[in-house]
Amino acid sequence: MPKTPSSTLAIELRAVSRRFADPGGRTVGVHPTSLTVPQGEIHGIIGFSGAGKSTLLRLVNLLERPDAGEVIVHGNTLTRLSAAGLRQARHRIGMIFQHFNLLHNLTVADNVALPMRIAGADPARIRERVQVCLDFVGLAEKADVYPGRLSGGQKQRVAIARALAPEPHVLLADEPTSALDPRTTLDLLGVLADANRQFGVTILLVSHEMEVIRRLCHRVSVMEGGRIVEQLDIADGRIPEGSQLASWLSDFGAVGPAASPSPTTRPDAAATPHHFALEAAHA
Amino acid sequence: MLETLIELAPEILKATGETLLMLAICLSAAILIGGALGLLVFLTSRGQSLERFRAFNLIANGVINVVRSFPFIILLVAISPFTRVIAGTSIGPLAASVPLSIAAIFYFARLIEQTLRDLPRGVIEAAEAMGASPLQIIRHVLLVEARSGLVLAVTVLAVSFLSYSAVAGVVGGGGIGDLAIRYGYYRFQTDVMVITIVLLIILVQSVQFFGQWAARRVDKR
Repeated sequence: MPKTPSSTLAIELRAVSRRFADPGGRTVGVHPTSLTVPQGEIHGIIGFSGAGKSTLLRLVNLLERPDAGEVIVHGNTLTRLSAAGLRQARHRIGMIFQHFNLLHNLTVADNVALPMRIAGADPARIRERVQVCLDFVGLAEKADVYPGRLSGGQKQRVAIARALAPEPHVLLADEPTSALDPRTTLDLLGVLADANRQFGVTILLVSHEMEVIRRLCHRVSVMEGGRIVEQLDIADGRIPEGSQLASWLSDFGAVGPAASPSPTTRPDAAATPHHFALEAAHA
Repeated sequence: MLETLIELAPEILKATGETLLMLAICLSAAILIGGALGLLVFLTSRGQSLERFRAFNLIANGVINVVRSFPFIILLVAISPFTRVIAGTSIGPLAASVPLSIAAIFYFARLIEQTLRDLPRGVIEAAEAMGASPLQIIRHVLLVEARSGLVLAVTVLAVSFLSYSAVAGVVGGGGIGDLAIRYGYYRFQTDVMVITIVLLIILVQSVQFFGQWAARRVDKR
């Protein structure tokens, strides 16, 4: 069963804002925005390019420093921490990226071990966690291979194992499937749903692909022009009628330029994230 | 030519030893000091983790450019008072190592900075997201991901400074270049000139071959 979102907050953004000039000279970013994500929830952020989705995500672990507002993760007010305190807090915030960002000169096992080495974990504990996390993503036999020999989907699995190794409270996912084909995307969403279910890790995921959001997320925040314009409960896989998101879907068929009708769409379009996760896991 | 070779063998051996000594000193200085300087210049550049020390970046960049503007032979002469303080003399291979080291430090700093700039930003960002300190980013990311580029940078450095060390011969620096000038140029002994050039070609080829082999070996990308 998906871990029931508890009342404790995993992520709390209080009126955070971040403005900067894009390469074309226009000001972009995030207007003062608040967002709360309860522990155990899978929360999606969707919107068109330039809506501020990725900036909002990167504000959570302070890869982007907010101009104003507060960021609280697992009860820790990150915006008030010293540089050393922030590094400490980041040890328990995992992150995965569109382009995986693995180290190509390290083996798969060493990539997974890296965040724990950085956190100064005990070597025996690191070995144990590397084994557990590689088993979890189904790549235990690739431990000694270099990432250059892996497919895109396998690379992202390694990145997930790496993010999970230090037992994070929160996993941030920045367009994690946007560089992958639909079938691989589906597999990977299964891995993320499993991680949420088995380890109770809260996931905040940015995507412009409606299918990804609909299949995986319990709730979704819709962003436009640097603001969250609506929040929807989509735990049952349905987009509420009359919502902004529903109207975008009917206007564009999908949100964002790269999204195409997914061949994996099944008649039971109302499959819950939970169902979906089970199917993917047994595929 | 063979006779000359046999006759001058002790001289050639001595000159080769001096050249290797000058190279060893200036390469070590460049890798240790220039390497550290290059890393710092990279880390303090825009968008990197020590961006807040931009002032250092601007000053260091300026100094690197100024030193690199000097034609080597001018640098050699210009800093000879400083050389005398450090080495106690301004002639011989040890003295020549002082200007060679200074030129090599700033040359290598720039090479390293440019090599690191080729790294994808995302990998460094991933390490920052893991809570890596600047030192950990250097050790676990920069030196790991850029290692084949760094080996090639050392190769380029070694080849360039083998040639610079010959310039030091002009002012009595010793080494293979000194031999070429004394016998080959001033005494019109073309065979000595040929021998020294062949020797230099062999040295350069070996350094280049070994450098490329090592770079390939450490590159798993």
